Amino acid sequence: MSAPTLAPQAQQPPAELRRETRRERRRRERLEERDATIPVELYGLKRGTISVLTACCVLFALFILAPVVWVIINSTKNQANIFQSFGFWFASPFEFFHTFANLFRDVDGDGTYSDWFLNTVLYSVVGGVGATVLAALGGYGFARFEFRGSKLFFGIIIAGLLVPITLVAVPLYLAYAKVHLINSIWGMIFPSMVTPIGIYLMRTYVELSIPRELTDAARIDGASELRIFFRIAVPLMVPGLMTVLLLSVAGTWNNYILPLIIFSNNTLFPVTVGMGLWSQHAGNSGDNNLYPLIVMGGLVTIVPMIALFALLQRYWRGGLLLGSVAN
Amino acid sequence: MSETALRPSAGVATRPSTPGRRHRRSAYARRRGRSGLAFVTPFMIIFTLFMVAPLGYAIYQSLYTTKLIGGTRYSGFANYSTVLHSGEFWSGVIRVIIFGGIQIPIMLAIAIFFATIFDLGVAKWGPVFRAVYFIPFAVPIVVSSLMWGFLLDPAYGPFNRLMNAVGFNNFNWLSPNLMLPSIIIIAIWEWTGYTCIIMYTALKSVPRDVVEAAILDDTPLWKIILRIKLPMVRPAIIMLVFINSIGAMQLFIEPTILNNYQAGVVTDTWTPVINIYTTSISNGEYQLGAAMAVVLAVVIIAISVASLAFRNRRREFR
Repeated sequence: MSAPTLAPQAQQPPAELRRETRRERRRRERLEERDATIPVELYGLKRGTISVLTACCVLFALFILAPVVWVIINSTKNQANIFQSFGFWFASPFEFFHTFANLFRDVDGDGTYSDWFLNTVLYSVVGGVGATVLAALGGYGFARFEFRGSKLFFGIIIAGLLVPITLVAVPLYLAYAKVHLINSIWGMIFPSMVTPIGIYLMRTYVELSIPRELTDAARIDGASELRIFFRIAVPLMVPGLMTVLLLSVAGTWNNYILPLIIFSNNTLFPVTVGMGLWSQHAGNSGDNNLYPLIVMGGLVTIVPMIALFALLQRYWRGGLLLGSVAN
Repeated sequence: MSETALRPSAGVATRPSTPGRRHRRSAYARRRGRSGLAFVTPFMIIFTLFMVAPLGYAIYQSLYTTKLIGGTRYSGFANYSTVLHSGEFWSGVIRVIIFGGIQIPIMLAIAIFFATIFDLGVAKWGPVFRAVYFIPFAVPIVVSSLMWGFLLDPAYGPFNRLMNAVGFNNFNWLSPNLMLPSIIIIAIWEWTGYTCIIMYTALKSVPRDVVEAAILDDTPLWKIILRIKLPMVRPAIIMLVFINSIGAMQLFIEPTILNNYQAGVVTDTWTPVINIYTTSISNGEYQLGAAMAVVLAVVIIAISVASLAFRNRRREFR
């Protein structure tokens, strides 16, 4: 938790030139939050209200944490104990490392979890970064330029928000069969880059956070449009871009139906499809010890995403609201 | 730090001041138009290839029928007629409408309740709870369905053991009657935190002086919340209803996964998307599946347009 301030004081540049350290930023954010919040005493609450409301929060937190705690506890159990022992307490033998090691082997011919995990990371990162780059360019283009058809194009993209993914997935499968994109990673990555919501969020973000005067001034000074975009707009768009990046990474990380339809080769599966297959087989024939793997796979799948969201939360929190303020 | 930085509302609550100025189409404007087109072209290409084209292809396919004898030929609206007269398809549509109609209001009520608590700061450890509530958003729906499947398992699940311990008989959460309520609980688990954070951010953007003025006027707290704060975050609420309705209509993963715990409850036509999936992929009747997908899209668009029309009608009261 300690901030990286171990460098000798004398070598540091003056405070106003130095980037603020993590501790300073936390302190500033806490103060800002305090200033923006009205002191509770002003509301004239009855005695005990805060305790009652805190208790409500605790109850709901128990509901939210129950499955997560269950997964952590049961990742240490063997198949018999997952079912026979009480779900919210440990039971011996301790099988955590044994099960974890099994994630790297093909246990029953469905495929190897570690492959699926790397696939999921690949699809999410490439798809998410691609979606963010396209949304940055497109959102900026729609926010700052008017050209023939710009209103129409934007309207079509917004209509894309309403299109069910299944409506696209089935015909994509048929089209892929014709152009040999079945069992191709690009067949998964390209559709992941289509995020109408990203374009919408970035357009709103550019309109709200980049003053027209700034880009106009640069234009009068003779800067090219690309230079204006990269040197002036992009640095100001970072919080919005982080939001779009996280939403699109999470979207691809979660995607189930598209990979389910387009992949038949189990070395290309993402985690979601692989685990769906496991659960199908575990349900059909109960004796192949797949349940501990499903529990462990679930744990390993959710930990990186929770960590990512927790680490980056100050970037995306403000951006989430964007979609709801622009009329 | 300067004063303006202390107002989280400054950036979000105001509308853009320049809503698209009209240029005369001078040479300069044309040059700028070309730059704008260059910026949006990469997205438009991917969007066209991977969204518009498949959609067009689906509509095209839906007008054809493949027969064992006679091959593929144009059949007009025959597939649509089959879909529109399919009781199973419509009972699936009604099931997801019931699902959304129950799940969305409950989730919104819980989310708004906690967002208000966090916004007012009337509970301890608010930031901790906010972080905890957001955890399910990071859990893929496949994984959360698997986890809940274990928890709700009729024979071994811990929830049933607790129910037994309290004196209830065996409670089959995954039986035909309780499958939908169980999925509603799972969906509430998945989406409440995300909704709560969005509501919290929206509530934070309500200017502080408005609330202070109300306090000075001795307005009771419940009135401040119901009459001042919530009306001011109305656009956020509408957006949430809108997004969640579209999602609810496409219910697919939760029933598919839970079916692995208790086979036979979720039929091939249980929700429209399951129906589309089995029809086009498992049974290979993709033209009929495409027609179903188009009908489902029309239903979704109709519901969305209706909700947007509602929003526009009410805008004058804001």
